[in-house]
Amino acid sequence: MRQEAMIRRMGRRETHSSRAALAVVSASVLLVVVLWLILEGALSMTGNGPLLLAPAQLMHAVAVMGTATVPAALLAAGVVIGLLGLLVVAAAILPGGKPRHILANPRSAVVVERDVLAAAIARTARTAARLSPAQVTATVGPRTAQLRLHPSSGRAVDVDAVTEAVDKELSGYSLARPLTPTVSVAHHGAVGI
Amino acid sequence: MNGTRRGLNRVLLAVLGLVLVGAGSLAVLAGSNQEIAQGWTRTGTELWAGLQERLAASRILGQDGSWWSVAGMGLLVVAAILLLCWIASQGGGRTKLLATRGDGDGTTTVDTAVASQAIKAALAGNKQVLASTVQSWRVKDGSGLKISLQARKGASPQELVAVLDELVSGLDALLGEEMPVLIRINAGTRSRFARSERVA
Repeated sequence: MRQEAMIRRMGRRETHSSRAALAVVSASVLLVVVLWLILEGALSMTGNGPLLLAPAQLMHAVAVMGTATVPAALLAAGVVIGLLGLLVVAAAILPGGKPRHILANPRSAVVVERDVLAAAIARTARTAARLSPAQVTATVGPRTAQLRLHPSSGRAVDVDAVTEAVDKELSGYSLARPLTPTVSVAHHGAVGI
Repeated sequence: MNGTRRGLNRVLLAVLGLVLVGAGSLAVLAGSNQEIAQGWTRTGTELWAGLQERLAASRILGQDGSWWSVAGMGLLVVAAILLLCWIASQGGGRTKLLATRGDGDGTTTVDTAVASQAIKAALAGNKQVLASTVQSWRVKDGSGLKISLQARKGASPQELVAVLDELVSGLDALLGEEMPVLIRINAGTRSRFARSERVA
């Protein structure tokens, strides 16, 4: 049971963003501001001139900003800051999924990138349809897998057989979140492949 | 896998975002409404005047500054240290020790390199694997093992997992304990440019 919980935890961590990059950027920006405030404070306490703005001037500027600034500029700045805040809140709340899938396994947490799954089902499809690698493209999304076949002109492709082969391959992966495959065949045949 | 405190990241980002949203909406209100703008300036001026009185009342003898300014500076320094801690808490947790077992007479440790070399040697002949990396990170009581593979284009993940399962169970038998194992099967630049195996 303990191992099961650990496997679930590892799978979740590997398929979701840690928001580390945004955290580092936000913390760095805040750190620069705080360090600047410390520097200005130290300069004014030791009786030196300010680097950009002395603390007293800064406090006064913030206190009268409501009327000292052009309303349109205040409005625009407010919209920009508010939108930035909304983006940060969204990053904090949204799951932030990564393009990876979990394969159920009793012993280990197995996490596979979507591109690997796409390449594998593309290989299955082209073997079933007897096409060349360039004639099959596959994309894998969070819940679906799309296969586009582009057979040579004048040759039919058995879509049912391809779908069945891909279904069988996908069910063999024991994906934690199953993928529904859709197979589409290009209307115009390829010439010269 | 690493030791990033994800809950902390999200909570602090949410707080920061809400503060920004609050400041932004205040600015929008003040920019669109004359009364609110005047209210801002009135309240701000009153607060600043009150603060200046406080500062003057607690002047340090023979100096320009006041005790309140010193306290404010201290708070800023604490804030800077906390921000540095937040940055330092990202990532980390890697270790070179795979397993440790000790009794009264001594301690036996197993390096991650043991597992790494064993797994790399076992996968060297596998044509579906282009590259492999083995790392370990600290968990509550011991270490976890992360095996990353770069799969050849078109390789069946199922077959790769079957091969790795066998390696992991061999490692379990060797170490005598079941540590947390994470298997990552990746595609990368090498997968994109390497030939795909025609007979799979």
